[in-house]
Amino acid sequence: MTDVLISAENLSAGYGSPVVEGVDLAVRGGEILALIGPNGGGKSTLLRALAGGPEKLGGAVTLCGLDADRLSPRERAKRMSVLLTDRPRTDKMTCREVVELGRYPYTGRFGLLSPADKRAADEAMELAGVGGLAERDFSRLSDGQSQRVMLARAVCQEPEVMILDEPTSYLDIHHKLIFLDSLQRLAREKAVAVILSMHELELAEKIADRTLCIKDGRVFRAGTPEEIFKEKILRELFDLPEELYKKYFKKGKSL
Amino acid sequence: MRYARFKTAAVLGGLFALALLFFGLNVFIGSAKFSFGEAAARLLSGDAIMWKIRAPRAMAALLLGGALALSGYLLQVFFHNPIAGPFVLGVSSGAKLAVALLMITAAAAGRTLTSVSMVGAAFAGSMLSLGLILLISQRVGRVSLLVVCGVMIGYICSAATDFAVTFADDADIVNLRSWSMGSFSGTDIDSVAVMAVIVPAASICVFLLSKPIGAYRLGEGYAKSSGVRVGLLRAALMTLSGLLAACVTAFAGPVSFVGIAAPHIVRLLLGGSKPASLIPACFLGGGIFCSACDLIARLAFAPTELSISTVTAIFGAPVVIAVMLRRKRGEAV
Repeated sequence: MTDVLISAENLSAGYGSPVVEGVDLAVRGGEILALIGPNGGGKSTLLRALAGGPEKLGGAVTLCGLDADRLSPRERAKRMSVLLTDRPRTDKMTCREVVELGRYPYTGRFGLLSPADKRAADEAMELAGVGGLAERDFSRLSDGQSQRVMLARAVCQEPEVMILDEPTSYLDIHHKLIFLDSLQRLAREKAVAVILSMHELELAEKIADRTLCIKDGRVFRAGTPEEIFKEKILRELFDLPEELYKKYFKKGKSL
Repeated sequence: MRYARFKTAAVLGGLFALALLFFGLNVFIGSAKFSFGEAAARLLSGDAIMWKIRAPRAMAALLLGGALALSGYLLQVFFHNPIAGPFVLGVSSGAKLAVALLMITAAAAGRTLTSVSMVGAAFAGSMLSLGLILLISQRVGRVSLLVVCGVMIGYICSAATDFAVTFADDADIVNLRSWSMGSFSGTDIDSVAVMAVIVPAASICVFLLSKPIGAYRLGEGYAKSSGVRVGLLRAALMTLSGLLAACVTAFAGPVSFVGIAAPHIVRLLLGGSKPASLIPACFLGGGIFCSACDLIARLAFAPTELSISTVTAIFGAPVVIAVMLRRKRGEAV
């Protein structure tokens, strides 16, 4: 395994008062860490704090060996890109333009793209499987397409760490699988450290190298999918009564 | 790609030519009727009608129109909504109130005002209105509601202005009444000199922001994550928009709807929203729009002049309605 690219120590995050506290984590290049847990548990807030937002209240985040608080926006952007829950509302922007904005931290005063920048955008679109959409109007894409274009934008930023907040929530199963497959390929091929939050447990189990369970503003459990995806832990994490769990989580046929 | 670049160049070139054309028309046509040859001869001989009345006014329509369109464009970037503009958000009216108060106070004290102090007062007024709108926007998420609030602020400021004007019935402020309706008439060379410094300077600053503005199109979160200093950008957007709107109001009074109509039309012409081409196109588009409207205001019922806002509203308001209907249908929500 490669070096740890992002780590947090005793991180607390929230809006004024903490929503999540005492989070420790470390993710290496090529590794995918999935955050799971009930709504309102603090997953999104934690992700925003890791991404350098004002949600960070205490503790330390280290990004590629550097104190994340001391990085300028541009220096941070060269190392970390994000995929947020809300879909951008654009007006007359082609997908290529959206993806090319990922080059922002690398371009000069006027944002002019060099041939190398253009190549990076093309590669990112290829990797995310949206090469054919380049000249389409972003605002007219389906949710699945737009999410992959936003993934391409995040890839185009050539980050070492990627943070994705519920990237698959609004996609149908076909697009969920395509999206996660692109993401996994990206993590492996480019040795990117990926942190994402997910609600689809069965998919999280398959894609994640490690899992962090967040409940009531605390890390409830952390471990490999084999350690986490067990009846006892999941039932407790999501407050599921036994009969409900049995009914929907039969062995070999999960949600 | 090559086609897109060609199209952008063609649109910008076309707009530039149109701006020149309307500037020329505004100089050559007026209530004193000259033949083309006569007008040209007068122009060359430094005639007073041409150089002291028409040319400054035509220049003002061009520069201030451009300023209005850019001011509107910046507010649209800021609020992520094409129906934001200095007039509908009450910025122009705030500036108007501040200038009216300053004029009345100065008249009472027997002083004359410099253009710079008028712009200063208008800037203070527009920034106050913008501050108020920002405070409201923190509580009201939807821009449509924000616009309603802006219109209300506009009415309050206009009412206060009318109140002040009514009770300050002084011979010195005869001009105030026509100014407070919006007009380019009576623009002199000195005013043009002041706006020819402020407007281009502010416009160049706007152009220098085209990279972060481009990234801001994806929303605050993505802009921040790709390295934009969002707080700084937002402050710059507000200040420049306020300054441009203030400059217009100080010299021409409130001019309605140009800030929304012109950016919308040039966006359609360009078929894109890249700031590096949209910013100059907005400026030219606004200039053309105001020049054309001023031509109509002067000539339609000559020798009686219409207020510029009357004409811009007739052509601009339908565009605003069209923008709202298009969004209602769900295009980019």
